Amino acid sequence: MTAYDRWKDFPDYIIGITREIWEDRGVETLNRYYAPDIPVRSPLGVSRGNQAVIAATMATLHEFPDREILTEDVIWSNDPTAGHLSSHRLYSMGTHTNAGQFGPATGRKWAVRVIADCAARGEEIYDEWLVRDYGGIVRQLGFEPVQYTRDLIAAEGGPDAAKRPFTPEADIDGGYHGGGNANEWGARYAADLTRLMEADFNHVLTSYDRAVVGQYPGAYQAVGRQQVADFWLALRSSFPSASFTIHHQIGMDGGMMSPRAAIRWSLDGTHDGWGAFGRPTGARVHVMGMAHAEYGPWGLRRETALYDEIAIWKQILLHTGDL
Amino acid sequence: MTTPRYADPESYILGITKDIWEDRGISLLETAYAPDIVMRNAGGMKIGNTSVIDDTLAKMAAFPDIEIFGEDVIWSGDAAGRYLSSHRTIITGTHTGHGVYGPPSGKRFTVRCIADCSVLDEVIDDEWLAYDTGAQARQLGHDPADFARARIIAEGGPDMASRPFTPDQDRPGPYLSRGNDNEWGARLADIVTRIMGKDVTVIRPEYDRAVRIEHAGGHGGWGTLQAEAIWMALRSSFPSAQFQIHHVIGRSDPHQPHRAAVRWSLDGKHDGFGRFGAPTGAPVHIMGFTHAEFGPWGLRREFTLFDEVAIWKQIHLHTGAF
Repeated sequence: MTAYDRWKDFPDYIIGITREIWEDRGVETLNRYYAPDIPVRSPLGVSRGNQAVIAATMATLHEFPDREILTEDVIWSNDPTAGHLSSHRLYSMGTHTNAGQFGPATGRKWAVRVIADCAARGEEIYDEWLVRDYGGIVRQLGFEPVQYTRDLIAAEGGPDAAKRPFTPEADIDGGYHGGGNANEWGARYAADLTRLMEADFNHVLTSYDRAVVGQYPGAYQAVGRQQVADFWLALRSSFPSASFTIHHQIGMDGGMMSPRAAIRWSLDGTHDGWGAFGRPTGARVHVMGMAHAEYGPWGLRRETALYDEIAIWKQILLHTGDL
Repeated sequence: MTTPRYADPESYILGITKDIWEDRGISLLETAYAPDIVMRNAGGMKIGNTSVIDDTLAKMAAFPDIEIFGEDVIWSGDAAGRYLSSHRTIITGTHTGHGVYGPPSGKRFTVRCIADCSVLDEVIDDEWLAYDTGAQARQLGHDPADFARARIIAEGGPDMASRPFTPDQDRPGPYLSRGNDNEWGARLADIVTRIMGKDVTVIRPEYDRAVRIEHAGGHGGWGTLQAEAIWMALRSSFPSAQFQIHHVIGRSDPHQPHRAAVRWSLDGKHDGFGRFGAPTGAPVHIMGFTHAEFGPWGLRREFTLFDEVAIWKQIHLHTGAF
């Protein structure tokens, strides 16, 4: 594999190209690091091909020239047939220095978490799923998420023309068909999340460390089991009848790290309950979620769970017409 | 010796903390703490478990819903069964009672604390600790420097006010060890020593680029640049102070990252610009605690605590500006 002439191992490759593309301004390297027809799924929609990624990368770098991307973790699997998948947790930060998709420059700084699941073959990424804490950026730039989403729909030409958030019907097969690995820590985290999504929030009291710290959408940090349980409850309660699916699951142990896991999941159904998204509206909603966990001797001790609040509000507002 | 109630140091420390604080077993301190314990709280030394009991009760009265989450227990022990546990906690509560932070404000706080406790036969008989008083003051609506001034006045003025911990007040306790010789403890001690020796270049090669750093005062940051800035702002306030390492623990436990706990001090004068404003020449002693987790890309998480209000108190007692 030619990739490893240059890179020490798979995480080193993921961290290295991220830095090369974003911080060292090697945007043109996307021509070879990203496949020509790669589908990139984010909660706000699917984009196709490395040229779209190049354009979006330049626009973001223009708006936030000092953007830094720090790698918190790379949780990865290498299935003999499906190949490599990296679930890359990033801490991304920048200053709103030039006009762009967030409007005229505000001079404000933001810092949020992102999880990117990338399938790689050799030195090329050919399939991707990405959730950024868009709500965290919006808030830190001084906007209110619901009003921001209304403005976004208007800027895209109104409800008929606005780009549709990601739903499974819009998915494109990019070629990666793996499910992750069979490591026990991935299985444990999958079971943890499944029980929470079955409304068994008491599970937090037995499976999570008392001192758990959770990092959630809106750059919200939860401390302790109560706040963590409340976070998951507020999500589930907004979509009580939605179906919960685990799409990809990785567990790892060793390598100078805590046992840890990465899960990509979704909630798909109707906005039919009170919770994190206010009054139930009956909107059809697909929540693309990504979550990472670290386990310690006293249970799950650090969790990062992301969904895109703006993508959810967009689905709700497009349904209600409350624009 | 009575039959041990706990299987290992971690369960003892986590268990006793919960028993005392959350299950309201304040009276357990009568047996869990040695009668003549020397508790070197950075904010002021306490001798004997009675003063610890009264202090605990006062905190609970001010924050009746207080919870103490044990984030980590990094410990080292000797063959005779004595060990030192460096216990990092997250303390959270709501200010619904009267106390040193004033009348009830209804505000919530969440801060860290590190307590180094010496334990023999399930009795704590020697202790060093620092609360993040700076972060607690801020979250309850006070500026830490103003809060230190207010404390001096409330305690009866500069002659009467209780003194923050300084080495001249220290009394020897039963714990004499300086930790263990695990390589990760040595590595953290070396890093902190080099930073305090103003060799700040040690941070880039030794720290993970994405390091998360959490320092006293609720000052946190991401990345090596912020780590450099936050350490320099501390050292720069006390550039001629003497730095010493007092205790070093390293651990490589199964299913955990390599971890380390170092207790250190800076002792000297407030003779530089930094996070404590313009230099005042005040004699200052800082009791410092640093915990770290190491990962494949270097030092990945760092927690450093000292008592910011205790430092301001030493500065104000010197300048008389309150």
